[in-house]
Amino acid sequence: MTAWAMVRHRFASFAGTFVAIALGVAVVAGSVTLYLSSRPQPPERYRASPVMVQAPSVGINDYGEPEIRSWTPDELAEVSGRLEQDPRITAAIPDPFFYVQRQGTADHGMARLAGHSWSSAALGGYQLATGHAPAKKGEVVVGASQGEVSVGAPADEAGATAGLVPGGTIEVLTAVGPETWTVTGTTDGPGFYVSDDDALARASGVRVIGLTVTGDQEQVADGAQARIGGAGTVRAGPERAALEPVEVTRIRWIGAQLLIAMVTLGAFATVFVVASTCALTAAQRRRELGLLRTAGATPGQVRRMMYAETALIAVFAGLVGAPVGSALAPLLARPMTDLDLEPPGFEATWQPAAAGGAILLGLIVALAGVAVAARRASRVPPLAALREAAAETRSMTPARWVFGLLSAAGGAALLAAMPAMATQSKTTAGMGAAMLLITAAALLAPVVIGPLVRLVTAPWRGSATGMVVREGTLTGVRRVASTAAPVLVTVGMTVLLVGMVATINEAAGVDEAADIPAATVLAPDGTPGLSEAAVRGQAGSSRLDTRVLVTHGAATTGEYAAGIAGSAVTLTPEAAGEVGASVGSAITLRFADGAQTSLPVRRIDAGAAAPVVLPRDLVRKHDPDALTSMVVLTGEPRPAAGARVMTARGYAEEQVAEEGDLVDLFLRVLIGLTAGYTAIAVSNTLLMATAARRQEFRALRLAGAGLGQVLRVTTAEAVLAAVVGALLGGAVGVFSLAGVRAAVEDELGRKVALMIPWDAGLGVTALCALLAVGATAVPVLRRPGLAR
Amino acid sequence: MEIRAVTKRYGQADNTVTALDAVDARFDPGTFTAVMGPSGSGKSTLLHCAAGLDRVTSGEVLIDGVPVKDLSERALTRLRRSRVGFVFQAFNLIPALTAAQNVVLPLRLAGRRPRPGEVAAMLAEVGLAERAGHRPTELSGGQQQRVAIARALVTRPAVIFADEPTGALDARSGLEILRLLRAAVDRHGQTIVMVTHDPVAAAHADRVLFLADGRVVDDVAGPVGAEKIAVHTARLEESAR
Ligand SMILES: Nc1ncnc2c1ncn2[C@@H]1O[C@H](COP(=O)(O)OP(=O)(O)OP(=O)(O)O)[C@@H](O)[C@H]1O
Ligand SMILES: [Mg+2]
Repeated sequence: MTAWAMVRHRFASFAGTFVAIALGVAVVAGSVTLYLSSRPQPPERYRASPVMVQAPSVGINDYGEPEIRSWTPDELAEVSGRLEQDPRITAAIPDPFFYVQRQGTADHGMARLAGHSWSSAALGGYQLATGHAPAKKGEVVVGASQGEVSVGAPADEAGATAGLVPGGTIEVLTAVGPETWTVTGTTDGPGFYVSDDDALARASGVRVIGLTVTGDQEQVADGAQARIGGAGTVRAGPERAALEPVEVTRIRWIGAQLLIAMVTLGAFATVFVVASTCALTAAQRRRELGLLRTAGATPGQVRRMMYAETALIAVFAGLVGAPVGSALAPLLARPMTDLDLEPPGFEATWQPAAAGGAILLGLIVALAGVAVAARRASRVPPLAALREAAAETRSMTPARWVFGLLSAAGGAALLAAMPAMATQSKTTAGMGAAMLLITAAALLAPVVIGPLVRLVTAPWRGSATGMVVREGTLTGVRRVASTAAPVLVTVGMTVLLVGMVATINEAAGVDEAADIPAATVLAPDGTPGLSEAAVRGQAGSSRLDTRVLVTHGAATTGEYAAGIAGSAVTLTPEAAGEVGASVGSAITLRFADGAQTSLPVRRIDAGAAAPVVLPRDLVRKHDPDALTSMVVLTGEPRPAAGARVMTARGYAEEQVAEEGDLVDLFLRVLIGLTAGYTAIAVSNTLLMATAARRQEFRALRLAGAGLGQVLRVTTAEAVLAAVVGALLGGAVGVFSLAGVRAAVEDELGRKVALMIPWDAGLGVTALCALLAVGATAVPVLRRPGLAR
Repeated sequence: MEIRAVTKRYGQADNTVTALDAVDARFDPGTFTAVMGPSGSGKSTLLHCAAGLDRVTSGEVLIDGVPVKDLSERALTRLRRSRVGFVFQAFNLIPALTAAQNVVLPLRLAGRRPRPGEVAAMLAEVGLAERAGHRPTELSGGQQQRVAIARALVTRPAVIFADEPTGALDARSGLEILRLLRAAVDRHGQTIVMVTHDPVAAAHADRVLFLADGRVVDDVAGPVGAEKIAVHTARLEESAR
């Protein structure tokens, strides 16, 4: 009863907590919705094949995914044959795929999956719309969409097949080169469908067999697994998500990194802001809590009441925030696919787990945030009710010291340990350290606020404003700590994130400039790579990219391999170490087509073009769908479809810029998220703090201060809080940045300049100060009258 | 209800104020005691110590015969909740709660469900039956004090402590409050200890305790007339100078 009455009555003062939780829940619900929506799913193309077989897994790759090898043609026939003996299996259809794109279109990462065999259309239940099936090489049935975007025009499903009618021709690009195919028909499925033999000849091996079945799926699946034994893995129903092509999964992975970072930062900002607003609310209510105590509430009852109030607020806020987040998520789906952070066709779907989880998280975070405040509140003596002003006596509690110092030590230890960590964990560790240090700074802030305020206000000691501001902040150190806290996170996180990227870019920039030869190159132009025809006849060196599986002992390791004309079998020292090879020893390689051979290692070279370098012809023989990433030209370039000529430097710069764009995007999203959230928290806490002090300002006016003078006081206090937060945040940011730099230096083995992002830091500080001033002025101006 | 040789000092080390200096006092059941004295003489401090709101520096406090010294904060709160009621000069009520909710609060906190009509009867006794659903901001100062008295009475405590309950009220409202307190003593045998500056208010008590500089300087058994108290006060202030 009491908690409910309190919440209802004091909703205005709980509004800060409400807003903080609602926003946090919305951010978390939205990003988790996107994350869950982007988990691998059974490909749409396989919707009519409930049971499928995947080629055997031979290990785990660097992304933590199983490394799947292809079946050899013989194995494929053998496995298909065995499956078809089962009367419940009506057909076992291999699913080869290969690179094809219509000339004049730009690839968005899906062209390598666009070519299929006509029989595989049955796996998606796709039918001929017009015409007849392809019968021989050079014939094609074109799909309704081809997973591409026309150059210069927005994606248009209907336009993709415009003008394609049976009997006509279509100009395409494949791994072979430009080809002209005869359109024999159209279908409602996506992509290009050629005859089965043609597809098998073009594909880099087959790793999936789809089954059309009758009867109970589970039983068929079990039966199929028993029939094939170790020659494959049966995947039924939702398990078919494992069959998503690597290309699609890789795009999802990039998006997932961003979403995970968003969830982490969002949750951290929520915990932080909610904890500080809860503490502020509790501090503002000392008197009321004292009254409750004189009315007979035990400390435990006060504590439980505060938990109950917060739980109520958190549930309300969650019920508002979660739907908002879930509703906003689909709006982000399109930009994410446009930026190649999610595969085409990605949609944010309704994820009850995300919404529910976010509400629960909001509740837990709010209760954790209020825990300290509630403990403190329960110790409010009954006599507090009788004291007029709630001037605090002690700003630092033992708990604040203990947790503050522990967080500081944890953050520093994490920074110190960074050089020894794996490269991928370093940014995470840097962010974790920053979070710990920010928490420490916020907890220990009261220690430095006193001296800082004395120092900053020293020049105005004589004036009335100076005196009021100084004493007002010195007797309300905790209040200042609460209002400075969001500024602290904003500035600290901005300085760290921007500085981290600038420092790493600085280090990388030096690297890139170092070894670019002054040559011209032939690079892909709107295509995933150069075709054989584009490369053939060019004077220069090129590499044909593929992936091989190296078996050593009982283990298998996947390695990126390059086919270079005239090259001997060469390994980098790292690769040689991984697979335990040395010059002269034989390595067992399995190629994209599933064939296995043993080759002697001729050289081990740290400067090798890829972990494994092989003769070009060998790669081409086993990987018909392999593409060339670029040709370093030594003579006049010969024009080719899907290729353009540019300087090596220009090419390198473009690569760096592409990566830079992605990093910039990550940066903007993450900073926008944290800064946006904490900036709202800045206004929020200051609004709360000032509104609660109306009495005090009224007394000031009664003592003869004009409205202007009161505003000067509030403005000065707001700026002071912003400055304190910015100084602490900046210090934490620079300190973490120094740790990150040390780690980068350690990795590169040379000095790296520390890039402190002054403009970004000062920019967000100014923004925070502006918001703070505005937020304090509102409650003062809203009720300028002197009557109570 | 008794305090024995209670001393209370505020502040630390070189900067201490002795608010109470070895004070002994007994408040017998069913009596109405007024505590008077110059400002800063330690009246409020005496009240807070006797009520267990504040810990004493030395000496012993017995609430309803129970020594409070060794009680935990929780146990002390429980004891206070059931045995002691308070009325202060102002700010007695929780702004979020209605008059009726404020009155029922101590019962609820004790986990007790009020008997049907109990709260209504309590409010009727202080003349506010119609105002049960109003919040403190919608009540006048005198009405707020009456709600506070109803709340103090609702648990039937062993003693009610009142610190200048009429201090913020006009003469008429103040008189109503004093009549209510007097009635509680006469009708229910309630024990009341009231701090006041006002000789007229003190005249409603059975006994007047005079404090000066943290010591009991006089203890006059009543009924005492207002003029006599005023003279007494004047003389005390004279001698203090
Ligand atoms: N919390 C405190 N800290 C320090 N000194 C205190 C505190 N409370 C009271 N005092 C001091 O103790 C002495 C007695 O105070 P007390 O409030 O009991 O006086 P009083 O008789 O109630 O005065 P008044 O009639 O003005 O209310 C005073 O000198 C006062 O300054
Ligand atoms: Mg007093």
